[in-house]
Amino acid sequence: MSRPAGEMMRAPLPALRVIRAGSALARARTGTPMRRYIFRRLLQNAFLLWVLTSMMFLLFRVLPGDPVSIILSAELSEESRQSIRDAWGLSRPLWSQYVTYILNVVHGEFGISFQYQKPVWDVLGDKVVNTLVLMIPSTAAAVVLGILAGMYFGWRRGSRLERLGVLLPPIIRGLPVFWLGILLLMAFSYGLNWFPNGGMRSMGTFVTSRWQLFFSWDFLWHLTLPFLCMTITSLPEPMLIMRSSLLETKGEDYLELIEAKGVSEWVVLKHAARGSLLPVMTWVFHMFGYAMASTVVIEIVFAWPGLGREIVNAVNAYDYPVIQAAFFLISAIIISLNLLMDLLYGFLDPRVVVQ
Amino acid sequence: MRADSAKLDHGIGAAVAGNDFGPISRLRRSGRVVRELGRVLLADAYGRVGVGILVFFLVLAIIAPTLAPMDPWANNYRANGSLARLDGPSWHHPLGTTFYGQDVLSQLLLGTRQTMLVGFVTAVLIGFIGTNVGLVAGYSGRITDDVLMRVTDFFYAIPFLPFMIVMVALIGRSLPVIIASMAFIFWRTAARVVRAQVLTLRTRPYVLAARASGAGHLRIMYVHILPNVLPLGFLYLIFGAAWAILTESSLSFIGLGDPNHLSWGLMLNQAFVTGSIRYAWWWVIPPGLALMTFLASLYFLGRGLEERANPRLRDHP
Repeated sequence: MSRPAGEMMRAPLPALRVIRAGSALARARTGTPMRRYIFRRLLQNAFLLWVLTSMMFLLFRVLPGDPVSIILSAELSEESRQSIRDAWGLSRPLWSQYVTYILNVVHGEFGISFQYQKPVWDVLGDKVVNTLVLMIPSTAAAVVLGILAGMYFGWRRGSRLERLGVLLPPIIRGLPVFWLGILLLMAFSYGLNWFPNGGMRSMGTFVTSRWQLFFSWDFLWHLTLPFLCMTITSLPEPMLIMRSSLLETKGEDYLELIEAKGVSEWVVLKHAARGSLLPVMTWVFHMFGYAMASTVVIEIVFAWPGLGREIVNAVNAYDYPVIQAAFFLISAIIISLNLLMDLLYGFLDPRVVVQ
Repeated sequence: MRADSAKLDHGIGAAVAGNDFGPISRLRRSGRVVRELGRVLLADAYGRVGVGILVFFLVLAIIAPTLAPMDPWANNYRANGSLARLDGPSWHHPLGTTFYGQDVLSQLLLGTRQTMLVGFVTAVLIGFIGTNVGLVAGYSGRITDDVLMRVTDFFYAIPFLPFMIVMVALIGRSLPVIIASMAFIFWRTAARVVRAQVLTLRTRPYVLAARASGAGHLRIMYVHILPNVLPLGFLYLIFGAAWAILTESSLSFIGLGDPNHLSWGLMLNQAFVTGSIRYAWWWVIPPGLALMTFLASLYFLGRGLEERANPRLRDHP
């Protein structure tokens, strides 16, 4: 860490830069920049969702050819086919179908499920919550644990534990989430009989409300294995990013300055960690897409009644309204979570607001 | 702030933009790039391990048909004429049999080919689309760049596994559909990273010199800049292959893969849906272990390349 003294003050200290930008913002703040920022982000994400929904419309209308021939028996006469097309509005021009479609999506009307014969929302409404209840805590745990592990491995580089530790991320990244799930089931459910082999609650448990379900020991007992599975497989990214980011920060002058003040190593690490968090935060924006992919697979392994399991069931049953709605809801979940992170980020780091 | 993430997608890959492969201004010198790449990979312990495992699996994939003891789809019978259902490892079936009396070892060996095929084809497609988009966006700048990067952002917003489930539901469970849908989405990472790299290259003196001596835009892009982003493209080719293999096996596992192509994901799917994971460890452990080892070898390879590209990450500075 020895450097020529002249180099010390080469660049303004990053911490100072932040303070300066922050106070400049505070002076200029009349409530507008933040509101404008929120508005812009809302608009951007609404636009994304609209494009995704339109893409779905195109895929479902254009790709399979005639929806009637997919859904109905081939033995129908041409006249009855035509009457069904008229009844479903399929003989109208495509743009008018598109307008109806978008209006329906806005109103939460996704049609009638073929396999359950009830409104799609009634089928999927609960599933959204179930998916979130699995996805959010395990992703949050992975981010926190990953950051801590990354901090350790970045700070204690060259130690024996670190040398072994850096072998882990490539191995965990190659670990298929469904295989880990099966191994956990084999070990802790079938082998040791500690945890149930799937589902969200035991047979015969009776709950009167969702809150009662989610805050019961029985539910947590069912959540443990899927939660573990998801957390372990999501660990490597935050850990690797935090480690390499911390390694870059370690060379910064401002740390040397803090060190020179004679404070404890923990205080130095705290400063270094704060300076290294930015890349991890940036990664969080992309995380939800990957987390959703894992959730779909985990829901299958652990028979978790969520959106992912439902979309796979729907594909097997050729239940197109459910497939379409489930895809829309999954996209909406990811986009809303990204929006949430965006806004949170705006509060944590005011620089992005003024940009 | 979103531009920062270009370097960071898939976790690592950071700071490869400042690679030390040096400017190489002729396409015919790309042989040097390949040789340099080999040297870099073998210089690093992680790289050596990765290359070793990769070569092992490659050889296995090539000689799999001669190596496999029996037809992987055939139902085998015991001496007394009953179906050899879930028999444990024996001399005759070194890794036991499946629920349908098929030989696990033969399935495992033939599955190697499928994995290689998916990884290789998808990676090439991703590399082709991503490098071209990144090259054009980074070099053209202005509106072209803006539009292409917004399109890339959009592809980041698509939930990829659900999207593939929809595609499979609409078109059918076939390998070409699966590979095409993966390539349709996964080019995004390569595009971003290559663009970031091109941005740093386009104002280098040698590019300006080429420009001054009358070289056209296409020539500069593909003859002068491309060779310098190839190593980076190669790194993301490796990550792309790993993602493709993992995604395809996930799709196969949830029962939406191509049922006619024997993959490790399909093996695990069958073990799972027949409820055999309760009894038949010999059917569950080998395909998952093979998948993990193979993917880990790709990440080790990538890490080796990265350590080289970003000296701060090197273990022995």
